[in-house]
Amino acid sequence: MSNPVQLLERLSTVRGLRGSVLVSAADGLIVAESLMTGVDGRAVAALAASLMNRLRRATESAGRREPVFLQLQAQGGSVLATPCGPDLVLVAVAGPDANVGLARLEMLEAAGKVA
Amino acid sequence: MRTVEPWVTEPLERFLAESSARLTLLMTSAGQVVAQHGFTRSVDVMTAAALGAAIMASTGEIAKLVGESNFLSLAHQGARQHVFLSAFETPRGRWIGLVVFDAESTVGLVQLFFERLVKELAAAAPQQVPEQQVLPENFERELNASLRALFGR
Amino acid sequence: MSDDIRGMTAELAADPDSLIFLELGEALRRRGQLDAAFKVARTGLGRYPELARAHDLFARIFCDRKEPDRAFESWVTALQFDPSLVSAHKGLGFLYYQAGDLASAEKHLAYAGQADPDDGGTATALERVRADATAAKAAPASVSAAGAEPAQAEPRAAGDGAAPDDVMLPTIAGAGGLAFSFDEGARSPVQEAVFSGLDGGADGLLLVDANGLRLGGGLRNPDGQDVADSVAALLAGVSKEAARTTRLLALGDWRGLAVECGDGNLFLSAPSDSTLLLTVRGLDVPMGRVARFAERASAAARTWLERAE
Repeated sequence: MSNPVQLLERLSTVRGLRGSVLVSAADGLIVAESLMTGVDGRAVAALAASLMNRLRRATESAGRREPVFLQLQAQGGSVLATPCGPDLVLVAVAGPDANVGLARLEMLEAAGKVA
Repeated sequence: MRTVEPWVTEPLERFLAESSARLTLLMTSAGQVVAQHGFTRSVDVMTAAALGAAIMASTGEIAKLVGESNFLSLAHQGARQHVFLSAFETPRGRWIGLVVFDAESTVGLVQLFFERLVKELAAAAPQQVPEQQVLPENFERELNASLRALFGR
Repeated sequence: MSDDIRGMTAELAADPDSLIFLELGEALRRRGQLDAAFKVARTGLGRYPELARAHDLFARIFCDRKEPDRAFESWVTALQFDPSLVSAHKGLGFLYYQAGDLASAEKHLAYAGQADPDDGGTATALERVRADATAAKAAPASVSAAGAEPAQAEPRAAGDGAAPDDVMLPTIAGAGGLAFSFDEGARSPVQEAVFSGLDGGADGLLLVDANGLRLGGGLRNPDGQDVADSVAALLAGVSKEAARTTRLLALGDWRGLAVECGDGNLFLSAPSDSTLLLTVRGLDVPMGRVARFAERASAAARTWLERAE
């Protein structure tokens, strides 16, 4: 597994991203983080992990494979998440001007290195 | 949910709604119950309160052993249910929270919302009331009054 | 397996684009092999999503599966693509009759009768509907009006829930050029087609209320099993989680949740404060398009909700 902090710091170079955390999927606890001031990493970790877990159940119920990427869109930005194996989730918080397409590609690449 | 202290009600209701906790107990560090949610028998409440207070007391001793001032919280992971215990300061002294949760929540969420509960309790607590000495003859009357408040009987 | 089915199966295997799937699906349906018929129909519909006869076949299968609401949606969709498809009019006439909406039943059966005057089954059914309507007018207290609660009347058409073809649906080889003005505003007491006219209206679009109960649309897993209700129940929790996440992270109200799975793309949105819409598409539909389609479906859902209120 590559150094997670370095991967997160690379993510932070994507325009509009306010930070990213690597989260334990089962606990919603932070494993590693790279966050701008003002972003509540613990809240990001706990809430995103819980959302991903609920989505896993919903997609399983729909007979689909597990989520590989999600974007929760809101007025003030987005929460992006991708699983890194069964135990971890990579989460990023994006502002409204973020390049989500690039963030997605970077996150999927990072997830592959972490898993 | 039942509380002995009315000002605890709203913050605790918000915590329960957000955390999806199955059982919650707030008690003083001496094991006196302040509020409970989810318990159906008073004997379970008393047992949980006594054990929770004892666990936190033991944890405090371990902290001293390793040179820490204190360990404020700990979590136990079970197969289906999990326990989160945390001590916190209130204007009424040190309290302990015991939270039992299952797959509907995570320790991260419980911790997150427990911290908010602590802040809200600090803000909601009325001004300090002079502590009344608990005399043996008052103790049983106070205990029974607490149980009635907690179980609505 | 009979020779004709074997032959059609071989033909379809040799040429997956062949329209033989229509005959094969119907033959399987008549033999009671509904799962197989469904798979054939679904595959064919995937290749010909605007083929009215494919939607008609789907509707018959749903009827046999005792899913009248999905049958209704499929027949409505069929008429969107071919307003003159007589078998769809007959099917809708049957469903309206079962549901007690005699006026709508008569409208559709009358059209079918005009298109095929030699069809004795349709003529008989129309007579029966008109007789019931006359009797209902004579005793107004005992009649449920059009658009009211589903029928208390005994189902007198052929078989409970069975496809109407035994009585009313011989093979139709073109219904002529009679124009039919299908009133899209008409409400069906069976179930209103929330997403009529939208591709995937019977599958892949699921409208849910805040309590996790299905309001319209449907969802099947890749094996063809109906998973709409179980997914609906879980969606309420997902949306609450989404709302809480954006609120507590100070991102404002949530607008949409795009989820890429290994075998499909999903988009969750909220057409109104108390409803959720799940749009599911295969991997061949990029997420951006799924989101745009979800917007159109949300608009259809809002229109339906406004009419329903």
